[in-house]
Amino acid sequence: MKSHLALAAAITLAAGGHVAAHHSFAAEFDATKAIRVTGTLVKVEWTNPHTYFYVDVKDDKGEVVRWACESGAPGALSRRGFKRSLLKLGDTLIVDGYRAKNGANLMDARRVTLPDGQVMVGASAGDGGPQ
Amino acid sequence: MSARVAGVALAVCVALAGVSLLGQERPMQLDDTKVPKGRPAPRLANGKPDLSGYWKGTTQTKPGGNIGKDLPGWKLPLTPAGEAALKHNLTATVDPEAVCIIGGTPRHNASGLPFEVLQGNNKIVFMYWYSYFRLIPFTPGLKHSDDPDPSFFGEEIGRWEGDTLVIDSIGFKEEKVWIDENANPHSDAMHVVERWTRPDYNHIHVETLIEDAKFYTKPFTYSRTWALGEPDEQIQEYSCSENNVDAAHLGFGPGPIRADGTRGYDNPAPLPPPVPKK
Repeated sequence: MKSHLALAAAITLAAGGHVAAHHSFAAEFDATKAIRVTGTLVKVEWTNPHTYFYVDVKDDKGEVVRWACESGAPGALSRRGFKRSLLKLGDTLIVDGYRAKNGANLMDARRVTLPDGQVMVGASAGDGGPQ
Repeated sequence: MSARVAGVALAVCVALAGVSLLGQERPMQLDDTKVPKGRPAPRLANGKPDLSGYWKGTTQTKPGGNIGKDLPGWKLPLTPAGEAALKHNLTATVDPEAVCIIGGTPRHNASGLPFEVLQGNNKIVFMYWYSYFRLIPFTPGLKHSDDPDPSFFGEEIGRWEGDTLVIDSIGFKEEKVWIDENANPHSDAMHVVERWTRPDYNHIHVETLIEDAKFYTKPFTYSRTWALGEPDEQIQEYSCSENNVDAAHLGFGPGPIRADGTRGYDNPAPLPPPVPKK
């Protein structure tokens, strides 16, 4: 099984590589600041050059903070099975990614866990971000 | 590889990537070792090779996005003015493509995104993701203008040399241009000569000569091969300025450049562990 795992890992890595998003991940996000945001989906913008969805999160003081979650272009998401119809307002999403370098409540949504447990890859293809 | 091993590999890939297989994302680039070779290139009725097709980069092109790919250490021969222009790009400009400005020549040839070519008897069109295109005439006898209007793709003139389509370009813009994804510069004095061939049915190739005496001490070259996509693949709609929220959050330059010559962080922090399955 070990060799199978190694093979699988190799295939996974080979599937990555350079593509080219419309800007570098590193121009906008800080790869040293990995974060998890859990909140209620309140808005979806299924748009180019990026899809955005917004989640309301209660902070430690009970106040609601809105986070913008940036993902790939609609076409790229759709081709990998991340369809617009999977995002339902009111759902609780768990979003893992990296925070904007400028400190805004904006994150690169690289992994999105839906209420039914489905895990979707939200990253922009080939932006040079963490694989 | 046996079917069982392949099945295990696929399953583990999916588990490692945490990706739903509701849909199969077609790769934007191909492993060239798996692309068949040897079938002759198609030809038009006029006898010229037909360069038409939907062309994808290969995983063998490294480092991607770097116009210095073919130079030792990827070191571009910058003049002092070129060094200053690079510094300016890194510290005072955002990626022009990120604010919906045409990447131009030769940046699109260094891009990882596929492109599409349609060829006629007197013109050829290169179509790119982001809804950009360039239309190049190759009617015999064409010459450059004395004072071409600066543009992102330059003033492009094509000609055939045997089975090679040569595209000669001058008249480039100098502002809001990066020559590649790493923010390297070019000036309005740039002269680019692309030599396009279709060595076999499944491949297109370019040999590029870049001359820019303002920013580079000597000419340098960039070569690359792409592989043919599936017959039903094509460029899709992409409206760059529809909702460019990110533009306000971009820093100057491309951010860190990795040791391997590509843009990005060498040692990113890991994401939080996946949520346990219910």
